[in-house]
Amino acid sequence: MNLNPATLARVQFAFTVSFHIIFPTMSIGLAMFLAVIEGLWLKTRNGLYLEIYRFWLSIFAMGFGVGVVTGIVLSFEFGLGFAKFAQLAGPVIGPMIALEVLTSFFLEAGFLGIMLFGMHRVGPKLHFFATCMVALGTLLSASWILSANSWMQTPDGVAVRNGRLIVVNWWHVLNNPSWLVRLPHMLSAAYLTASFLVAGVGAWYLLCGKHLAFAKKSVALGTAFASVLIAGQVFIGDILYDTMLKHQPSKMQAAEGFWEKESASPAPYYWVILPDQKEQRNRFALGIPYLGSIWLTHSLHGRVEGLKNTPRDAQPIMGMVFYGFRIMYGIAILMFAAATSSLWLRWKRRLFTTKWFLRFLVAMTPSGIIATLGGWYVAETGRQPWVIFGLLRTIDASSPVPAKTLLATLVAFVCIYAFFMAAFLFFVAHIIRRGPALALPQAEASGSLKNAFRPHVLDSANANAVVGR
Amino acid sequence: MDMPLLCAGFAALSVALYVLLDGFDLGVGALLLLQPHERSRDHMVDSITPTWDGNETWLIMTGVTLLAAFPIAYGILMPALYIPIIVMLLALGLRGVSFEFRAQMKRYRRRWDVIFAIGSIAAACMQGLILGALLKGISVERSSFSGSVFDCFRPFSLLCALCVLEGYVVLGGCWLEYKTSALLHGFSIRALRIALPLFLLTFGFVVETSFSVQPGILAVWKAHPLLLGTVSCIVLIAALILFGSIGKRPDVRPLAASMVMIAAGIAGLAIIVFPMVVPFRLSIWSASSPRLSQIFVGAQYDTNHVYVSPFNVDAFVASFLGTFGGKSTKQVIATVTPTPSKTTSQLLQTPVGTVSLFGFLTPIPAPFGAWTSITKVAEEAR
Repeated sequence: MNLNPATLARVQFAFTVSFHIIFPTMSIGLAMFLAVIEGLWLKTRNGLYLEIYRFWLSIFAMGFGVGVVTGIVLSFEFGLGFAKFAQLAGPVIGPMIALEVLTSFFLEAGFLGIMLFGMHRVGPKLHFFATCMVALGTLLSASWILSANSWMQTPDGVAVRNGRLIVVNWWHVLNNPSWLVRLPHMLSAAYLTASFLVAGVGAWYLLCGKHLAFAKKSVALGTAFASVLIAGQVFIGDILYDTMLKHQPSKMQAAEGFWEKESASPAPYYWVILPDQKEQRNRFALGIPYLGSIWLTHSLHGRVEGLKNTPRDAQPIMGMVFYGFRIMYGIAILMFAAATSSLWLRWKRRLFTTKWFLRFLVAMTPSGIIATLGGWYVAETGRQPWVIFGLLRTIDASSPVPAKTLLATLVAFVCIYAFFMAAFLFFVAHIIRRGPALALPQAEASGSLKNAFRPHVLDSANANAVVGR
Repeated sequence: MDMPLLCAGFAALSVALYVLLDGFDLGVGALLLLQPHERSRDHMVDSITPTWDGNETWLIMTGVTLLAAFPIAYGILMPALYIPIIVMLLALGLRGVSFEFRAQMKRYRRRWDVIFAIGSIAAACMQGLILGALLKGISVERSSFSGSVFDCFRPFSLLCALCVLEGYVVLGGCWLEYKTSALLHGFSIRALRIALPLFLLTFGFVVETSFSVQPGILAVWKAHPLLLGTVSCIVLIAALILFGSIGKRPDVRPLAASMVMIAAGIAGLAIIVFPMVVPFRLSIWSASSPRLSQIFVGAQYDTNHVYVSPFNVDAFVASFLGTFGGKSTKQVIATVTPTPSKTTSQLLQTPVGTVSLFGFLTPIPAPFGAWTSITKVAEEAR
């Protein structure tokens, strides 16, 4: 790879945003899961639900904290790496992000403290309300960000005057053609992520023979949510496929791995390709015959459009889009398999005893996160060479920062984020090893708590006691 | 209503709130390095646990307001301040996770506290560097940053970094004095007695050197001696009250005095910088975003400004609209500068673009209108 500033700025943004999205995906999913669990607890008063709630609350809090600190970076990175993009698109996406801060951050700021510390202070009903508000906050946050990102995918409602973007219709900017399809797609991805996290941890405990009541409930809930969600996701994904085919054909052409304007008939469904962008062909391709025609054209002999339909200077890099899509799609198939097996085993009453299935669930624990990353790679690399599709090329958007500086900060980001990830995994492993029974009645993760309800940390009586020791 | 002004006010408010609130946070973090007792360090961290995250939201708000309302300035400032901003963000990140992990990993608490303190110190210093670089001035050419990313590392900026760090330590010391008692109370009093004189000394030195570093600052002092003199007096009086009240009841007085002192300092800065958003380079009106986005966060003048003699305004409108077509908005008499002045103001909206037309009835106060010239406009038009 050549070390030009534009490439390095892209790598840096890709790295920081990929790292960041892991945590909001978990937070969005776990916040909704916690709201559902607390609702079930209030309805049934079954202590097991409370145990599940407390167990996941700590992990949620820690993930939320890492999400906040990595998110601050992004709000500055638009300008750090892509000054021209910020100057052109700032008037359009800036207000959306400002509104995200004003709506969801303040909602979360108000209620996260109660959610994490306030159970004994405000009572279960108000506490449930706080949990719901935090879940709503994460949902609003996702809506604004998806709206801003979708506008970059399918820009609408703006006009170019004097080299600057003018918003003509705010409603069209917000409700751009892909937003209302991509938002539910991302939300169910986040909820699926949480479902598989919960089911995976439960399955692990079942395999170890520990915390059985907690584990059974976790597996039952996780697989139930996953079964409903994956069925919905298949439909949403299909609608999104058609939407993107209409608005960004180059992305979907790259995602399917065909080069020629029309593929052979019947078209195979490729799983492994070795694309050669320069020669505009695949050096190697392996796929399942007929399946491409059946899935993509819904007929036995249909032909699939290839990337050569897009002029070379507007083509994304096929390898990245293709493998991003295959990872997401492959995991979706595995999730579907897990969901159907869980339904079958549930009917046969062997859900908690089938070893191979439990091992499969453990392996699927991080599947939602990986699939979400794959999906975002399709969305972002498939939009290239544009940063705002059809309006601004990525290469024209970059900042006047020298390559060496970018490289140095990239290395710093990688080192420090690796450190964050190691510490986070260490923490989660510790929580899982310790088990749910020992989870304290309050969240112990103390960062990112906008808790306005705590009294003075240290009153004089306490201080004297401390000093006396 | 003048929306860029409103947005600038909001951005300034975000910065001020950020400095006042996260200032004591970072100051407490820096003081961790000096505190040998683990229990005391626990209490120090506990005292800021409930608020730090909310405080940092103001930093995001500042960045996003710049992006939304002043995208041109945002696109100039971010690359110009690339290194200090990235280091600051990483330092804040390290600090943020230390909050969590120091509580979780008891065995490594000492190490996490060191990371916490270094993160706080680095973040504070970087904010000082940013301030110094802004005051010194940033090289701008045709709405892009044209200098080197290392421009911000100058002796004056390093001095500002030290000054900001000391200011935050003063705020942190006052916060601790307010929030704690016994041992930690004594610790904060000792820290304050050393940090406050150091801060005032450095602050005076910064003000003194700034005149030679940036002639624009001296010009503002000469233009508003009374205003800036009053602000300086407030800083000094607050500092004296603060010094006198260290270690005395009520505990809240030093905190209040330090907040007033820092707030007055920020107000002075705002007077010096106004109405520029990239200091001495780009005004809030020329850096703001196109008009319509202000339905969300404010209206704008995304236009070239044209100044003609007030007697020729109507003739100019007739000729301009006769050439390019379009229409003019209603003419109003307004004050568009921070100092008293009067001008006619209207927008000429033509199919080829919009210009703001001014006919000053009073002398045009410098530096308003100084950043553009008719040749540059003509060049851009070509």
